[in-house]
Amino acid sequence: MNGDPLYLDGVDLGDLGVMALKVVIAFVFLLVATMFMVWFERKLISDMQNRIGPNVAGPWGLLQTFADGVKFFFKEDLRPENADPLVFRLAPYISAVTAFLSFAVVPIGGSFGDGSSGTVTIFGRETFLQVADPPIGILLLLAMSSIAVYGVMLAGWASGSKYPLIGSVRASAQAISYEAALGMATVVVVVLAGTLSTHGIVEAQAGGITRWFVVSSGIVPFIVFLIAATAELNRPPFDLVEAEQELVGGFHTEYSSIRFALFFLAEFMNVITMSAIMVTLFFGGPAGPIFFGMTWFWPTIWFLLKVLAFLFVFVWFRATLPRLRYDQLMHLGWKVLIPLILFWLMFISLKELRAAYDWNWVATYGAALIALLAGTALLVAGLRAGDRAYEDEMEDV
Amino acid sequence: MEQYLPVLTLGVLGVLFVLLSIVASRLLAPERNTLAKRSPYECGITDQVAIPERFPVKFYLVAMLFIMFDIEIVFLYPWAVANDELGLFGLVAMTIFAGIFFLSFVYELAKGGLNWGPGRRALTPVKSPERTTESTIRKVGLEGRIDAIVETDDSEAA
Repeated sequence: MNGDPLYLDGVDLGDLGVMALKVVIAFVFLLVATMFMVWFERKLISDMQNRIGPNVAGPWGLLQTFADGVKFFFKEDLRPENADPLVFRLAPYISAVTAFLSFAVVPIGGSFGDGSSGTVTIFGRETFLQVADPPIGILLLLAMSSIAVYGVMLAGWASGSKYPLIGSVRASAQAISYEAALGMATVVVVVLAGTLSTHGIVEAQAGGITRWFVVSSGIVPFIVFLIAATAELNRPPFDLVEAEQELVGGFHTEYSSIRFALFFLAEFMNVITMSAIMVTLFFGGPAGPIFFGMTWFWPTIWFLLKVLAFLFVFVWFRATLPRLRYDQLMHLGWKVLIPLILFWLMFISLKELRAAYDWNWVATYGAALIALLAGTALLVAGLRAGDRAYEDEMEDV
Repeated sequence: MEQYLPVLTLGVLGVLFVLLSIVASRLLAPERNTLAKRSPYECGITDQVAIPERFPVKFYLVAMLFIMFDIEIVFLYPWAVANDELGLFGLVAMTIFAGIFFLSFVYELAKGGLNWGPGRRALTPVKSPERTTESTIRKVGLEGRIDAIVETDDSEAA
């Protein structure tokens, strides 16, 4: 847990060069990947809805997003007169910059296990195939996803218009509701890995599929994380933030031209980052079989394939599931996901301790079962009482 | 702190990207501002309703509950990292801590603080015995078949 070996023996000009190379590659990769993600989503949804989709700009319409992006530069940049001038300009910065930063801690390659610790050699310098490996990598991710909420919130508030305002209030309530579940699902992974560094988490999963946290944590934290991540990203079926039928465009109704494009970019970039994070936390990151020779090449390929699978899942969600109603959204977030993941977290930590200290099977799991039954009974009683209280309250109104 | 250097660099690159995009747009885009473009969006008509300054108190409840849970998560992380070393002591301490949070959470649930929407009773349609399909829908084009309808009505009444 010493972090990236690149900086361990002091930082000289060569180290800075390697760092700059990694940063620029990640930056360009993110932009290009986002471009293709938009194309991928449009094309895939077209296929699922039995239409053709973009097919004019470039082969198979591949350059459609690029063409759209160029067009945005030539569009008039509007600002409503009762918008807050400073915050209105600030919001796209927050959204876009946090989207870039979240990707920094994701390990995108390097072979782990069998004595190798995921380092590669670039220009004679050992380093990790990730932009940065701070000791609190996971917290950095969560911090960025929290700050990203400010981008949406401030954009809606500063527009000085009612649809964006309603959209942003919904957005912040939704994001904080699911952030608790997201955070606790991540804590389960931290319990298993014993470290907050993303590199350490991938290292802890080295050595076969059974060691991947999706298996060894039971599948529950992964499912909770997937649902909460979809809600955090404001992707369908949780896209109440920009529900077109109710709120025109949600928080970015008043944004046009390149400022709108930046929100759009940040949204899709976050989809890619969130997929990469799920691969890192639950699917062993770049782990996978290495065929002939090139040890640095295969892990990156596996990583990209896994990310692509998740991107497909997000698009699939959008094509398949209808949008939730607001009360259903709150119900799922608070009354299902949070109690479930809270119990699961305690259970996994108990399971780990039992293995470490060799406690009695029956006593350990008996205690867990009693806690589960007591908690469920309390929760069900609470829910019933809550429904009754709410019905009475609504009657009075 | 060297580990954060690349994060900072990426952040600076991100800010530059946004800044250059906006500058490029300012240079390239036309500026033909009109009153209609400056006014807030409202489906093609003049906006006459002031934007709301107050929100349902439910949103504040959610925010407060979130702060509670966020504090819990902040304390969960250091415990999770040291779970193996802390052993039974850590687990018991955390269970008590999480249990108290869970109790207050259940209390808010029991007060109906996390229920949204019109409520179940309002969603179930009001049915009065006088209003039936027969009384509200006038059937036309049944001339010649009216006997069959009368017959089924009789059998239902019986």
